[in-house]
Amino acid sequence: MTFLHILKRSSSTRIMALLLLASASCLPAQNSTLTDSIPSVTGSWPTFNGDYSGRRFSPLTQINQTNVHSLKLAWAFQTHAAALKSTPLEIDGILYFAVPNRVWAIDAKTGEQIWQFRREAEGDDLGQRGVAFYRGRVYFGTTDAHFFCLDARNGKKIWEDTVADVKFGYYISVAPLIVKGLVVLGTSGDSANVPHFVEALDWETGKIVWKTFTVPKAGTPEARTWPNEQARLNGGGPAWFTGTYDPELNLIYWGTGNPHPVLAGAGRAGANLYTCSILALNADSGKIVWYFQPSPHDTHDWDAVETPVLIDAPFHGKPRKLLAQASRNGYFFLLDRATGKNLLTVPFSTANWAKGIDSNGSPIPNPAKEPQLDGTLIKLAEDGGTSWMSPSFDPQTGLFYFNAWRGDSMWYLSPGGRPTDHQGGGTVPLVASSVLLALDYQTGKIRWQRDSGQGLGGASVLTTAGHLLFTADASGNLLALDPATGHALWHTRPGGLVDYAAPMTYQLDGTQYVVTGVDGVLYAWSLTGSL
Amino acid sequence: MRATSTHSLHLFYFVCIFAFAIRSPAQTDLMKHENVQRGQADYRQSCAICHGTEAMGGVGPNLVQSSLVRHDEHGDLIAPVIQDGRADKGMPAFPLMNSAEISDIVAFLHARVALASVVSSEGLANGYSLQQLLTGNAEAGKQYFYGAGKCMTCHSRTEDLAGIAKKYSPADLEARFLYPPRDSVTAMVSLNSGKQFHGKLLHLDAFYVAILDQDGWYRSWPLQQVKVQVHDPLAGHLQLLSKYTDKDIHDVFAYLETLK
Repeated sequence: MTFLHILKRSSSTRIMALLLLASASCLPAQNSTLTDSIPSVTGSWPTFNGDYSGRRFSPLTQINQTNVHSLKLAWAFQTHAAALKSTPLEIDGILYFAVPNRVWAIDAKTGEQIWQFRREAEGDDLGQRGVAFYRGRVYFGTTDAHFFCLDARNGKKIWEDTVADVKFGYYISVAPLIVKGLVVLGTSGDSANVPHFVEALDWETGKIVWKTFTVPKAGTPEARTWPNEQARLNGGGPAWFTGTYDPELNLIYWGTGNPHPVLAGAGRAGANLYTCSILALNADSGKIVWYFQPSPHDTHDWDAVETPVLIDAPFHGKPRKLLAQASRNGYFFLLDRATGKNLLTVPFSTANWAKGIDSNGSPIPNPAKEPQLDGTLIKLAEDGGTSWMSPSFDPQTGLFYFNAWRGDSMWYLSPGGRPTDHQGGGTVPLVASSVLLALDYQTGKIRWQRDSGQGLGGASVLTTAGHLLFTADASGNLLALDPATGHALWHTRPGGLVDYAAPMTYQLDGTQYVVTGVDGVLYAWSLTGSL
Repeated sequence: MRATSTHSLHLFYFVCIFAFAIRSPAQTDLMKHENVQRGQADYRQSCAICHGTEAMGGVGPNLVQSSLVRHDEHGDLIAPVIQDGRADKGMPAFPLMNSAEISDIVAFLHARVALASVVSSEGLANGYSLQQLLTGNAEAGKQYFYGAGKCMTCHSRTEDLAGIAKKYSPADLEARFLYPPRDSVTAMVSLNSGKQFHGKLLHLDAFYVAILDQDGWYRSWPLQQVKVQVHDPLAGHLQLLSKYTDKDIHDVFAYLETLK
């Protein structure tokens, strides 16, 4: 009787869920009355974010709320390498992914290695976010700021380019973005007072088509946000994370990082454009069409490189081309992506470093909360409110998801005036925890949140039309959640760092796979998995 | 709607990264190497007048930001410039400087570049001095300690805090009073049978809880099968982090520094 009761309950639950899913898939999605101007990813995953929008929303439904509890391991691939921080691409049955100075191509159905490219190089190996694919070629950057074009069939080098000087701390960690035959990339590096840039290379030859520095040109009004030429020319603004692209507007959106020196702001009075900014670049020329600065005159390393997610959805009842960013400084920003006009600036954490919002929607830094000789308490964790972890926007729920950090930290300025090192100060971490947030994109209000554990977790988010949200927590769990509520529908503990590599999904020969990186191992999960 | 409203009370605890981080020893020790020390002395005698005491420029260029210096390997680029000078740029030659002195200056310049190339902001390259941190008013700090801070609820200047300023460096003391090492969180786990286990909390997520019980055994349970009560003796410190002004912090630090 007990068994029968359970069976009945299980059946009725499943039937109800199936009905809900069926009705959900028949109903128009919340925002489907709008023109989706950016083609969505389909059954593959051909770019870093799946498609140009940065939404990381897949229309695949084979794995859904009714069956996700049956998810099994289909295969695993051991890299014997550093922790995976890249998002694999899936193109024609092959996965392409990277760690610093290494690229793999593996069978997306079995995990069998097809080829590996390996290179010894000096430079910062903090992370490698992935590769780009175009016309049978694979593109990626290395720790010594070189850039490679490989034959996707066999991993053999076609050409190599030197992007910047590794002796000044430059390296390439970004997954390139392919736009109209251009390979777009940005420079990483935060150990020397140098300028940074975004550049576009010809896919075939590697020739530079355009190069846009993330500090303004001399003589422009924006150059006056620096006190002198020395400060401007060495001003920083690393462009270390992959941007997004609107084909209709022909605009590439790319975030920039902190000014230099990092914590000492006295020698660079002013807003320090275009650091800690979101840039809208003309895809053909690289010209800055508009900019928005989440953190003017940053002195806390509040990089604004977090994915500028492109959303076609209503705002105050009218269809808008929107850009949303959950920024490292603890604020959620919503912009009109055609003009850069700020529509919303809402803190998702306690951002006591700012004393208000200016007329452009940028937070106003509080001078008293800049790093001080005797220290100042910042109500954010030492690494900010969030960071590189890829967010997701689910058009079915209308919610914007990302992993955030909460905490407290003390910030000190180095004594002695002009800093003798690149930082010019230091932080002391006090407390830190991680939390998954689901924000209403129109208000910035938190609709639900889910504690992710102690410390600074690094989980990215994937949502699917199967009404699922894939992520991880900081306690070792891979998770599939209900994106409407945050309730866990599936979880497993594969061991190791589960929250560094972003989850992605694709469907091959009738089977949907969800791929996650755990330490140096790729795991592929499916309903037909046998492990 | 809060997805974890049931669990959040149990899960709402934080981590303290209490190791007081300074730059890596390898980095801070760079300047202590004998050849670097000699090179620094030679540099200051012959080069600093134009290139600055810290090699960051003066009337001459900033050598820390110099491409030539950064690409130099064992003096292959720097030594010729020192020996021959750069007449076109106003740099004199130093033909009498011997190879050992040049080698030392090269070592000093490389050390300066390495020391300037700090990737992480965690900690301070040169540490903290008491003078730097001691800007508060000890009397005001005492009042906060016994007043708004309610610190005396758990602490006593004559017992656990006696001599605390002698026990820790100034920087360590400041970090510790703001949020001490988090190794004292305990949990009471109640089973459906009514049996209870108490011990040091080792793990708590949305699915499992684990403790080190009072006999020293590791024990874990699925969270859905037990009730968990977490006791965090540092909860008061956490609450204060939301109340402190910077002045409060500096005052309390100044007061604690009197407890020698």
